[in-house]
Amino acid sequence: MILDADLSLAETLPTRYDLSMDESPPRIPPDPVIEAYKKDVDRTLLRENLKRSVEERFLRLMELHRFAEELQRAGRAARQQR
Amino acid sequence: MTDFQGLLRVLIDAGVEFIVVEGAAATGHGSARLTLDLDIVYRRTPENHTSLVTALAPHTPYLRGAPPGLPFRWDVDTIERGLNFTLTTSLGELDLLGEIIGGGGFDELLPDSIELQLFGRPCKCLGLERLIEVKRAAGRPKDLEAIAELEALRDELRSQD
Repeated sequence: MILDADLSLAETLPTRYDLSMDESPPRIPPDPVIEAYKKDVDRTLLRENLKRSVEERFLRLMELHRFAEELQRAGRAARQQR
Repeated sequence: MTDFQGLLRVLIDAGVEFIVVEGAAATGHGSARLTLDLDIVYRRTPENHTSLVTALAPHTPYLRGAPPGLPFRWDVDTIERGLNFTLTTSLGELDLLGEIIGGGGFDELLPDSIELQLFGRPCKCLGLERLIEVKRAAGRPKDLEAIAELEALRDELRSQD
């Protein structure tokens, strides 16, 4: 989710992360525990994020913060009404 | 809420030399996980300490989680006597790290950093491979899911190449 006010700036930027910026090969061997965790990673979320520019990812992170704070506020209000 | 855009602008505009690491770096690479603070590794030089003080002084930095009223002074002496600082500021939560486990300091991490254009400014960010390495080196159980996501991200990037 992108803030409307910031959309014009985000639209001027590259639309996805460029792998050529960081194409170093793996330098450490796979860890079986991490490999097990990887099976549960929701890759659809990653693919959606990779379509965004770096700046859009940070704007979305701040939007998630605002949403989390609003949920916390609503939770506090509901507890006080009990 | 941490204003990542505001914090990065303040630091870059003051000429602070730093590398974005941890969760914010992961966000830059495409992570979908929520991170609450901005972690940076700053260069340990007198000039950079002065830049850090100048950049953050207007934003009332204070030790995060500490009781109010402590005689905490945000100045060059404080930075030189310490190394890693977990701060709260008027722009949000900021971790200033002189070194990180498995990665060392700014100069050790610099060859593995990439430069991003963020909010109209150049910003150094730890590369994905090195980010995975330092998280694995830290060996914290709480990082296992984050490391798995970063490695999955690396797989996705390679498959798109």
